[in-house]
This record gives sequence, C-alpha cells and structure tokens, in this order.
Amino acid sequence: MTTGLGATMVRAGRRLLSSLPALFGVLVFTFLLMRVLPGDPAVFFASGPNAGKEEIELIRKQMGLDKSVPEQLVFYLSDIGHGNLGRSMMTGQPVLKDLRERLPASLELTFTALLIALIAAVPLGVIAALRPGSVVDHGVRLFCALGVCVPTFVSGLLLIYVFYYLLGLAPDPTGRIDVFTSLPPQRTGFLSIDFLLAGDFEGWWAACKQLILPAVSMALFVIAPLARITRASMLVSLGSDFVRTARSVGLSWRKVVVTYALRNAILPVITIAGIVFSTMLGANVLVEKVFSWPGVASYALDALLSSDYAPVQGFVLLMASLFVLVNLVVDICYGIADPRVSIE
Amino acid sequence: MRFVSFRPATSVLATAALLLIATAPSQAQTRAETLRYVTGASVNTLDPNIPGSTRESFALSMSTYDRLVAFGRKQLNGKWVFDLDTITGELAESYDVSPDGLKLTFRLRKDAKFQDGSPVTAEDVKWSLDRCVTAPILGKAQLLTGSLTSADQFKVIDPLTIEVTLPKPDKLALPNLATVYPMIINSKVAKEHATTDDPWATAWLKEHTAGSGAYVVETFKPGEQVILKRDEAWNRGSANKPAFFKRVIVQSVPEPATRANLVERGDADLVLDLQASDVQSLEGKGKLKVISTPQYNAITFVSMNNQIPPFDNVNVRRAIAFALPYDDMFKAALFGRGSPLFGASWADGKPANGIYPFQQPVKLDLDKAREYLKAAGLPEGFSTTFSFNVGQASTAEPMAALVKESLGKIGIKVDIQKLPDAQMSTQINEKKLPFYTEGIVAWLPSTDYFYRNFYTGNQRWNYSSINNPDLAAIAQEARFEPDKAKYEEAGRKLNAMHFDLMPQVMLWQPNQDAVMAPSIEGYTYEFHRQVDYRDVSRK
Repeated sequence: MTTGLGATMVRAGRRLLSSLPALFGVLVFTFLLMRVLPGDPAVFFASGPNAGKEEIELIRKQMGLDKSVPEQLVFYLSDIGHGNLGRSMMTGQPVLKDLRERLPASLELTFTALLIALIAAVPLGVIAALRPGSVVDHGVRLFCALGVCVPTFVSGLLLIYVFYYLLGLAPDPTGRIDVFTSLPPQRTGFLSIDFLLAGDFEGWWAACKQLILPAVSMALFVIAPLARITRASMLVSLGSDFVRTARSVGLSWRKVVVTYALRNAILPVITIAGIVFSTMLGANVLVEKVFSWPGVASYALDALLSSDYAPVQGFVLLMASLFVLVNLVVDICYGIADPRVSIE
Repeated sequence: MRFVSFRPATSVLATAALLLIATAPSQAQTRAETLRYVTGASVNTLDPNIPGSTRESFALSMSTYDRLVAFGRKQLNGKWVFDLDTITGELAESYDVSPDGLKLTFRLRKDAKFQDGSPVTAEDVKWSLDRCVTAPILGKAQLLTGSLTSADQFKVIDPLTIEVTLPKPDKLALPNLATVYPMIINSKVAKEHATTDDPWATAWLKEHTAGSGAYVVETFKPGEQVILKRDEAWNRGSANKPAFFKRVIVQSVPEPATRANLVERGDADLVLDLQASDVQSLEGKGKLKVISTPQYNAITFVSMNNQIPPFDNVNVRRAIAFALPYDDMFKAALFGRGSPLFGASWADGKPANGIYPFQQPVKLDLDKAREYLKAAGLPEGFSTTFSFNVGQASTAEPMAALVKESLGKIGIKVDIQKLPDAQMSTQINEKKLPFYTEGIVAWLPSTDYFYRNFYTGNQRWNYSSINNPDLAAIAQEARFEPDKAKYEEAGRKLNAMHFDLMPQVMLWQPNQDAVMAPSIEGYTYEFHRQVDYRDVSRK
C-alpha cells in the first residue's frame, strides 16, 4: 500500500515538474499578447478631466512601459522570480494581494457549485441510464438542455428576481457577506469555513445564504455535461458482462448499480468534472458580475477591458497553475477509482 | 431483482430544498443612521491625486478631506446643483480677494481639527497646496487651469492665515481650490511617511487618510467596498454640526439590474448609475425618489477628426450635422433623459448667448445634408467607420445603428466599430479615429475653459483635432477678461464660430439619474458627478 502511495507521489511530482515549461510558456505568451493588443493602459488610466501628455508619461513610467518590450519581459520575469506579480492600476494594490484575497472567493463559489452539480448530476445520469427512453430519461434530457441553453447570467438574474426581488427569501446579491455582518478572523479565506472555525454559526449561515444563489446558477450550467456523461458511461457499464454476471448471481440491486456499475462508470465523470472545474473557475465571470462576487474572474475581465497588464498576466498564470494542479488531482483520483490506471 | 425500482432522486430535491430562510436584519436601529450607496464603479485609492483614480475615489475624498473652500449650491429647475459662482469657506473661515485680483487671503477656522485631533494650521495648508503643484500627481494639471503652478505662490502669514499670489487675475484660481485635488492633508502625519524617493508620501496616502474631513475611513477594500464612520467633531457643514449619517457604506455592485433591485427593495439607499430603462420603470412605479439633473458640465458628442479626409472639409462636417437623426437618437440612447443640444432656432442666425455648451440650430434635414455633400464634391457619399467604446455600449450602440441608417440615405456608408475602453482612448489620443462618439466633463464649466481645453491644441481632449488660431486666440483672451459684457461677447463669437466650423456635433447633456429611498433628502448634483455624502440626510 505504501509503495502504491509512494508511486503515486513520485508520479505526481514528475508531472508537476514536466508542467513547468508549459507554465513558463504561458507566462511569456500572455506577457507578449498583452503588449500586442491595441490599447495603451497609460492613456486609459490618465483619464482625469485634465490629464494630459505629462500624466500619460508618468503612468507609463510607473507601469514600466517606457522601456523596450524585451527589457520589460526580463524585469517581469525577475519580479515573478521574487514572487512579485506587479501592481494593479485598477485597484491600486499589488496583484498578489488582490489575487490572494479574491481567489478564495472564487474557489469557494466554484467548489460549492461543483458539489451541487455533482450531487444533482450523478443521480440524474444514473436514473436516466437505468430507464433509457423512459419519461424520466426525457425529463432529465430536457432539464439538462434547459440548463445548458440558459446562459448563467440569465439564470442568475432570474434567480435573483424570484428569490430576492419577488419572494424576499434570499439576501441581497452583493458579494460574499451581508455588509452589516462582521467578518471572522481570516484563516482559510473560505468564509463558510472561517465562520465555523470562529464558532460563529449566525455568520456561517449568512455566508451560506449568500453563496447558494450564485452557486446554483453556476451549477445549473454544468449539470448537463456531467449528467450526460454519467448516463452514457452508465449505459455502457450496465450493458457489460460483469454487470450481467453480477445480476445473474443475485447480488443486491444496490451492490450491482452502485458498487459495480457506477464505480466503473465514474472515470469519465471525474475527467469531465476536472475540466468543468477549471473552466468554471475562469469562466464564472458572468455569475461573479451578477452577484457582485469579489472573485478573480471579474477582476481579470475588468483588468482586460482597461488593458491593466499586471492583473491579467497574474490571473492567467494563476489559472495555468490551477489547471496543472487540477489535472494532477484528477490523475490521482483516477488511481483511487481504478487502481489499474497508472498514467506515466 | 430489478434495478429499475430505484427510488426517485430525493437527493436532487434535497438540494432544491436547501433554500433560504430570510432572517430580519437585526441592526434595524443603526440602519436608519447608515447610508448604503451602491455603484458600478469602485474606489481604488484614498488619495484622488493618484493617476488612475476613479470618480468614486473623488467623491470619497470630498468626505474624508476638507478643502480651503467649497462650492455652494443652487436650484436649477427645482433641483439642487453645485454653484460655481458661490464659493464658501470650508477650512477657511473667510477669504479676501485683493482689488487687483492678484492676492487671495484665507483665514483658517480656529476650531478646525484633523481626525487625529491636531489643529489645522497654515503650515498644513501650504504643504498640501505645495504638494498639489509640485508632486507628480493629478492636481498639478488641474491647478494649472487656475494659474496655480508653483509653491512660491503659497505663503504662510501666521498660523491661521495663508496667502495665495497669482501672476494674473485668474477667475478660476479660487474655484480650483474647491475641486477634488487641493485637499488639505495633515502634513505632520504625512511627512512621517514620506521617503526620499517619495517626499510627498503619495504611496502612503493612497492607502491611508490624514485629513480633517467629515468621515473617517473604517475599512477600505479596493474594488469591493469602503465603510466610513462619521467624525463627530467635524463642523464644516452648513449648519455647524457633523454630517447626518453615522456610517456610510460605499459598495461596488457591477450589475446595473442588481443595483436597481437593491434600491427598489430598500436594501440600498442611493444609486446613481442605473440604466436609463431601469430609471424609467422605477420612476413609473413611483415608490422611490428619482432626481434627474442634466449634467450641465458634461456633453456627449459625435466627433469628426478635422484633420482626416473627408472630415477636413467643412461641408462634409455640415452634411453630417444635418444628417443625424437627433430625435430618434435621443430617444433610443437616453430615453429622452437629458437636455438636447440640437434643434435650436436662431431667429437672426446668431447665437442666443455666450454660454457654452449651447443648443445649435441643427436638425435632421437630408436635403440640406445632400447639398452640403455636393458642395464638398462628394455627391456620391463615402465610406467611414463610426466608433464607440464598450463601456458606453448601452447608449452608444442604439445610437450608432441610427447614425448608420440615416447616413446611408445620403450615400455615406458607415461601419460600426465597438472598441474596448483602453483601445478607444488610445486611438483618440493618437488622433486615429475619423468619426466617433465620446463625452467630456469639465469641473469648472465656463465658456473659455471649454473652448481652451476641448477645441485647441494637439491633445487628447481636442476630439475634433480642430486647429483654428482665431478660435484659440479668442478663448485664450477671454480667460483673463474681467469685464462681464466683453466676456459674453467673446462667448457669442466662439459659439458662432462653432456652428460655422462645425468641428464636432454636440448631441446632448445626459441626465444624472439619482434614484434613492423616499426618506433620503438633500441630494445635490456635484461637479465631480458623484454623491457628496455630506449633502444627504434621512427624514
């Protein structure tokens, strides 16, 4: 067992190392891309009512844009080496600080959404697979189609309209916590965990209430791919010889479906869940905007619109690193779900 | 054993059942004493002088810092707006202007204290004004417009008196001291945080305040929210008492529909930047107070680059001016919420007065437009692009479609170009856009100021890139014209030239729509186009 775990760790370490060149490539590519894009951040930020050439030059110097691009790249890389991602013109804060404050918000939202999606999608897929072509199957298909074709900001606005505006059940959709609630001491950055650690259950409930609507609107969007994949691979697995054998020897229904069929069918679901998670983290910008969620995606979008280089570069680097991590976790999960798998 | 007997997915329902139970806000009592202001933008610095600072940061600094003087307010069509002509003391108890207009003497209030309890002295005032004209910050360019350029102009007479000397009697010197930038900083505190590289403590003041303003910053989360606490000792308000609200929460809510929901539900007290359609529906419901003030120091243009053919031909520009579907644009873009700057009738063909901006005698008249095109030697029309920025898409997009349609009728083929904000401002700065829509704002809206800043020089704000020496000379001369009648005459001349040369087309002054809870009173349209939290109170 220890050797198995050790082998997994070695494999993980090797994969991590082999991803470094890719990360470096992403770094340089984003850097160059930002400079190639039309739009001069200095001009944009020098937009006070009297900002003239002098102000533009000043900002250019502050952002280091007065130097040549190769020089800028060298400075940037050495900064990264020192753990400095630069400073955002938009918020006026170091990018690292901004990302550190905002990433937990995004992660908390994405994890919750993924959890809701998985809890809903896997049973839905299984039911659909158990009765293919039945009313239930069609119902699931319809639900999934609706979830996919309604963009997240529409479902988000609809949820706000119904649960906040009409029914008054949900708290106002303005970020992670009600402005009147005091924050717990920051430990993990995940409010739902920090509140629990601080033993403040009222605050925990307040944070959860803020989280539910955005998480549900994100989850609605990703239930479809997860449910469809579950259904497809369950169908294959249910039709396979070992399930027939299991059934013929009279194993319990639960044992057949959950232990044999589902466990074998879950691999592609894990793959898709990994991809879905990475995509959600970067692409939940619409939900973040609608719910004023202080996450990294809306931060990056604002930065991109105003050609604020440092935050965009920092964001892409962060996303690339997360992607590497998520892939790693998915690989490890593979190993757990199916010990035969060992990806080299 | 049939495995079809699986029970319906109760777990799915359980997720849905995880729905929310409302808990009544337990802080009802303090809620009435709290102003919750929601906005799409965000505060990004506590010192508005930092390049790149947002309008929200301007507004915040008005409450966290005092200035020597402040603008009064007046009623315009029954709505309170700032009054450029009434300047009252803020930190100054009183001020004198010497008869030749070259010396301004300010006597400070004896009871004025910084938020740390130390008294406000003439030394602090001098340090702050010196900083404004010497440090590489935004205040420099602003104070330049009031002939305030050097630290030598500020002299401490005694601990409570400061004297400002001007090279010329500049009308805008005093109003400039009431703008956002020349705020008075606690120099002792700021100096402690100054470094050799940064002698004016710009880095420290970006994240901290050291002022004497009505509100103390309690928490500052850039991009999210700022919470302010009232300074109980502050007495620079009109009635010699602290500001009304004990707490002010300035919160960023990027989605306009959400902002509308918040204020309608009563969770937010005040919001400025709603979509025109939302404002109209909220106004229709009649539950909230909606105060619409034409932004009388702002203008939306359709600009043409006078240096790029075919717009270098005055007749082409005139043709455009008579081919724009003004009424439809006004309705589509703003739902008619604003004051139009088109459709005037000049009986004698002369401007009605010397005030800029003014209504031009232009309207949709395609025959006239065709004549002008013919006179320009382009009877068949031409092709061009019409640009606007993404940030203004909600108003500019419908407008652009109408421009395209209408100009198509006289043979001008228009391609609509939607540019990201940074890209648009870069191209404007580089004078590369032939035809586009943009807006301007002037903090100190006087005729000569508009013409000098927006119609002269090879600089960004000269959208039309007009280069007319006569116009520049008249505007420059008017700046120091003490005689009111002569100033008015110069204004008329400039306005007549504007119509004749048609460098760009003035469309309208959009309304500032402030939507607030019915209990909120005292809202005033300020020069920085934001709420001054000190103005408002609750019934």
